[in-house]
Amino acid sequence: MTAFLQALASGLALGAIYGLIALGFNITYATTKTFNFGQGAFLVPGSLVGVSLLLLAAGKPHFGNLTQAEMTMTAYVLATIASVVVVGAIGIALYYCAIKPFVGAGGLNWVLSTIGFGIIMQNTALAIWGPASIAVPSPLGSEVWRIAGAGIRPQEVLIAVVAVAVMAVLDIVLRKTRFGKALRAVAFNPQAAAIVGINVETIVILAFVISSALAGLAGILIAPITTASVFIGLGIALKAFSAAIVGGLTSPRGCMLGGFLLGIVEALVGLWRAEMREITIFLLIIIVLVVRPSGLMGARSVEKI
Amino acid sequence: MPALAHAIGLAVLAAALALVPLFGLNDFYLQILFTIGVNYLAAAGLNVLVGYAGQKSLGHAGLFAVGAYTAAIANIEWGLSPWLSLLLACGFGAIFGLVIAMPSVRVSGPSLAMVTIGFGIVVEKIVTEWTDIFKGQAGFYGISAPSIAGVSFTNLHWVWFVGALCIATHLMLRSLLAGRYGRAFLGVQMAEPAAQSVGISVVRAKTLAFVISAVTCALAGAVVAQQNQYFNSDFITFNLSIFLLVVVIFGGSGSLYGPLFGAVILTMLDAWLARWPALQHFTYGALLLFSLYLMPNGIAGAVSGFAARWRQGKVAAAAVAGHSALAASAATAGGEILVVKDLYKAYGGIVPVRTVSFAISAGKVHALIGPNGAGKTTLLNLLSGHVAPGSGSIRFEGQEIAGWPAHRVASLGIARTFQNLKLFGELSALDNVLLGAHRHIETGFVASLLGLPSSRQAEASARADALALLTDLGLGERAHEPAKGLPYGLQRRLEIARALASKPKLLLLDEPAAGLNPQETHELGEVIRRIQQAGVTVLLIEHHMDLVMGISQHVLVLDYGALIAEGRPEAIRQNPKVIAAYLGADDDTALTGDAA
Repeated sequence: MTAFLQALASGLALGAIYGLIALGFNITYATTKTFNFGQGAFLVPGSLVGVSLLLLAAGKPHFGNLTQAEMTMTAYVLATIASVVVVGAIGIALYYCAIKPFVGAGGLNWVLSTIGFGIIMQNTALAIWGPASIAVPSPLGSEVWRIAGAGIRPQEVLIAVVAVAVMAVLDIVLRKTRFGKALRAVAFNPQAAAIVGINVETIVILAFVISSALAGLAGILIAPITTASVFIGLGIALKAFSAAIVGGLTSPRGCMLGGFLLGIVEALVGLWRAEMREITIFLLIIIVLVVRPSGLMGARSVEKI
Repeated sequence: MPALAHAIGLAVLAAALALVPLFGLNDFYLQILFTIGVNYLAAAGLNVLVGYAGQKSLGHAGLFAVGAYTAAIANIEWGLSPWLSLLLACGFGAIFGLVIAMPSVRVSGPSLAMVTIGFGIVVEKIVTEWTDIFKGQAGFYGISAPSIAGVSFTNLHWVWFVGALCIATHLMLRSLLAGRYGRAFLGVQMAEPAAQSVGISVVRAKTLAFVISAVTCALAGAVVAQQNQYFNSDFITFNLSIFLLVVVIFGGSGSLYGPLFGAVILTMLDAWLARWPALQHFTYGALLLFSLYLMPNGIAGAVSGFAARWRQGKVAAAAVAGHSALAASAATAGGEILVVKDLYKAYGGIVPVRTVSFAISAGKVHALIGPNGAGKTTLLNLLSGHVAPGSGSIRFEGQEIAGWPAHRVASLGIARTFQNLKLFGELSALDNVLLGAHRHIETGFVASLLGLPSSRQAEASARADALALLTDLGLGERAHEPAKGLPYGLQRRLEIARALASKPKLLLLDEPAAGLNPQETHELGEVIRRIQQAGVTVLLIEHHMDLVMGISQHVLVLDYGALIAEGRPEAIRQNPKVIAAYLGADDDTALTGDAA
């Protein structure tokens, strides 16, 4: 039972990460029918930029290891802000280089261009930080919290709390604010949105900034769990993509739900046999999609004949 | 590419391969040539799937693994000869192609990407984790290479062998894709409902494309395992799936030569930059990012665009005597060809067709009219099988067809056109009509793959017939233009030509006059008369009352999903219910003139 609770907790934390990234996929897909296939590479600067700034502030080289004393909550918050801002800004570059030339052209060219952008980013990161992984202490310390007998890492709680808060805010923003309405208008019909005075390109760029910033946030949140390195991105982004598809790429809440579902299933299967995690997850995904091709909460599209 | 140039190209390639020993290439260069060949093999099949059938797969590393592990296990564990292992690898490839096709044909877009990614990763994890059978990272050692007359393959032999495989694959795919199968793939990619309406099973076409791509990919994997004599799970990664897709798309998907360009350039680039790994990855990334911006259709697209400027205006007009499907055939016997009883369809609370019953007699022109939103198009979709009815019966020549999929309905002899044109836009007018004739071109898969004379004969006679039909309808001079480039009126007429090419017994026309000018509308009336004379029963939805009253012998009126009147045109014109439905009650203006 304690093992189960423990798995549930880490599953929720992991699921929150998937959900954050998946939500980013949803936001850009809604506006342009594209998303960043190389999103995994965006987690890398997410985790490394903030940590390096802290290292530099502590008077160390930018790729060393932080001590627990140097990782206060204030430092972590500042590092997070730095990561989110930097990665969000990279999102603008992503839009102009890899998305704008291909939007509306149909076909798969945007998939390849975003993968290409990701490869360039990952290798830039490799040139800056090298291949070694950096241990990142959690601002809440490494001591395990005992809750109902289960050992839960404080960083897992932090991840879940921050992620849920961010999701809740974005959910409200998307549904209630002028920006949210404009975003949905662009998603529904860009021409009509332009006619009523919405600056479509600004909305689309903002969508990519948000999506990238979410990946950056995920990167710095997960770093204390996985350590920060150039190679952490691909696996996580792939599962986040799965979460988005299973939950329903067209539904923000579906994407978040998909993230948590995937995280929990992964953790629980890992409890049984760790090596069966990916096999089980992806087989499940295939089955879900055969039954519901547009995902659990996605809108079914019917072609008009 | 003209046949002569193609033959010369192949001869040059074969000669170059034969002369490889004279160049004194070391093993490094032989390995590059071998890798080009392997990448071409995998990409050539994948191109059929991605470029022709329009199904993007991000999991073909899984199929590469199927081939490689079959070759390894068959040889080492089961003691089979390398040649037999190679054959077995192709067989297993085909089986796994079917396996991946089953979920894949049900989904599209991002979900399709997900299903194929999932397949690739499941295979990757299985071969990594299930070490009892697949040996994981340790891998299989000592996989035997094939031998001829007791001589095991050297690196040079491998280059020759793979070269031969590539040429054979190219010739087979070239023959296959030039004929009815290639057209069916493209048709499915461009307009699924239209492909169904000419009798193509979308599921079968996509499945076939998956199997073809799986076989060449598995063959490539098997050849790599045998040449390497070693294979482990590190070969099978998501990146390999991406790489194979990049070879196809960078080279130019949907072009026969795209995979060749992609394989040659990307393999050489890879080898050349291998000395500087950092630069290699940057170049690779930049290539992905910018090349498609400069060449949206890949290298093949850029090259053929260049070549097209040279060849401009040199389309050969084949002077052959075909048989137009419009040439009068024996008049069909009377009687009721289609009987609809209590047909019902609801979308949630909206009921576009509520318990409609009517009969259509053979050899006549029937018109289905009604105000906008009356449910006419839904009714037509029910008849053609594009939409499944909620309940009710549709009998065509005594056969119950309610609930049949569209391609089966089409194969009975019911053809249709679409209100919102659904032409195969990128294909020529001629190819559109040939797709219409799809079910009458009787060529088996193997005959088409091998380019047997019987298959070429069938293709040539179908082309002649299609040209005759196009000429008959005044489209002969534009037969080789892409359909989407034709003026709107001719596009409408081309849809009718495509439907007629399937030699239907019943032709369903959905607002054929929409958007036509008066002259074109008049010509359309003439065409419909000729279709009737050719013995085809016609059911048309139309708003142009001149046209309806002029050419039809029987009019059905639909309003709010229910049949409110039917009979001869002159009777319908006077029917108070019809007048009320169209113009509101209290208005005594009859349905005349330009009511449309």
